[in-house]
Amino acid sequence: MTRVTNVMRLQLMNRQSYVIVPLLVLGGAALLALAIFLLVPYDGPKYAVMAAAAPLWAFLVVGVQALTLSFPFSQALGATRRDFHLGTLLTAAMTSAMLAIIYLAISLVEKATNGWGLNGYFSTPGLDGDAPLAAFASYFVLAMLCFLVGYWSAAVIKRWGTVVLISALVGVAIALTVASLLLVRFGAMQAVAEWAVAQGALGLDAWGLLLVVVLAATSFLTLRRITQ
Amino acid sequence: MTSIIEVKHLTKRYRTATALDDVSLALDEGKIYGLLGRNGAGKTTLMSILTAQNFATSGHVRVFGEDPYENARVLGRLCFVRENQKYPERATPPQAFRTASYFYPNWNQRLAERLVEEFQLPTDRPIQRLSRGQLSAVGIVIALAARADVTFFDEPYLGLDAVARQVFYDRLIEDYAESPRTIVLSSHLIDEVANLLEHVIVLDRGRVVIDAAADDIRGSAFNVVGDATAVAAFAVGKQVLRKQTLGNVTSVVLKGQMSESDKVRLARSGVEVAPVSLQQFIVSSAAQPDRGDAWGTDGPPAKVEARQLVRNGGAR
Repeated sequence: MTRVTNVMRLQLMNRQSYVIVPLLVLGGAALLALAIFLLVPYDGPKYAVMAAAAPLWAFLVVGVQALTLSFPFSQALGATRRDFHLGTLLTAAMTSAMLAIIYLAISLVEKATNGWGLNGYFSTPGLDGDAPLAAFASYFVLAMLCFLVGYWSAAVIKRWGTVVLISALVGVAIALTVASLLLVRFGAMQAVAEWAVAQGALGLDAWGLLLVVVLAATSFLTLRRITQ
Repeated sequence: MTSIIEVKHLTKRYRTATALDDVSLALDEGKIYGLLGRNGAGKTTLMSILTAQNFATSGHVRVFGEDPYENARVLGRLCFVRENQKYPERATPPQAFRTASYFYPNWNQRLAERLVEEFQLPTDRPIQRLSRGQLSAVGIVIALAARADVTFFDEPYLGLDAVARQVFYDRLIEDYAESPRTIVLSSHLIDEVANLLEHVIVLDRGRVVIDAAADDIRGSAFNVVGDATAVAAFAVGKQVLRKQTLGNVTSVVLKGQMSESDKVRLARSGVEVAPVSLQQFIVSSAAQPDRGDAWGTDGPPAKVEARQLVRNGGAR
């Protein structure tokens, strides 16, 4: 366990990437959203969906750097790949949870103040499902997914090169497109939408968490044979 | 003396090149090894495989008797800072040192601080923004202060000025005396590190061409300089490893040791004799791009010959 916590300390040796930058992005995006709510001459509810998503992009970058920069350093210091992976995942989970708590706090304040008195919302109602737990879980799962997409992509590049990564991403995009086309063609879109609604926010979060687990396992298998 | 690193028939092939070609070695505990050879000879690849950062195509390595791959018991006792080591984003040197100290129970903070001062290393700037020499210094501080049981240095002096290089050599010897451990120092500046080394391994295009105690190598050949005719006369019947001529002055590296009669003859002919340096020996015998001049075009494979040379020289 000491070996894993050592990796966490390595990942957090500079708190800027994991903590300060995402918080700055979140705070900056929230302020900008408020300013825009003030300027928009519309009294109905306004949602700043992209603003809430902004810190998640920062997590994508953190995921990439965890592998391209921190991984080689951990190898120099004699960490095993397994310990590196576990320590990195725990660090990502910890910081994702921190972001999710802040997001939850914002969404609660927004509800209590009717959108800062401007009827403008930074939090996204679809994510919340009106339950505080769902707001937290959705944001946590999305942050972890962003981190892992960056982490796994960097691992694929280091192991097989850029061409393989792009092919893999294009492959996933084609598969998703074909799947949606088939769903439309056979009129099943309605059924999918109903299924999603039936799952509820927490149900969808659980599916997201499953995806997190799959990506984490895939990343580890990729990482096991990376050479320096 | 127990071997702590064993390499048997290790071969590493990339798609277009062979980095290591049937390498077999045994490294003992508590010695300073020089891993010498030209750029691309396979030095970094060998150290990477020993630290499980790269993988063998065939053959195997044992470190402390075990396979190092994913083996925390083994890897925790190794430290290998690369020549182009990466560090976490925006990390400053003191942050990197503090992190390294968590990984090594014998971390010597006093030594780290002293080295920072001697290398005049900036402590408030991210490592990514340091100069090439300062980046090397960060690696040296970590690898020395870690006091790992086996420490690998990969061309650790790149970009360092002469003063800083001397600081490195001095502290290495001092700390090694205080806390003996196994050190593998990869280098192509052979003469500079020669005095540090107890044992020399020379790689050339992925093969081991010399694997011998440094003292044996020093006694295995000698250098004769003087008037071309006199030198040529003296060299008759001796194996010439290398010959250089400038005007009517010739310098030759001769195999073996001088006999008493040689000394008498030399004194008479006014020819100067000097011990051969490690660098001269290696350049003469092993690490040349084509060895035709040293061995004759139909000479024996350099690997066998260089080893025999050392054995013969040392045994006399």
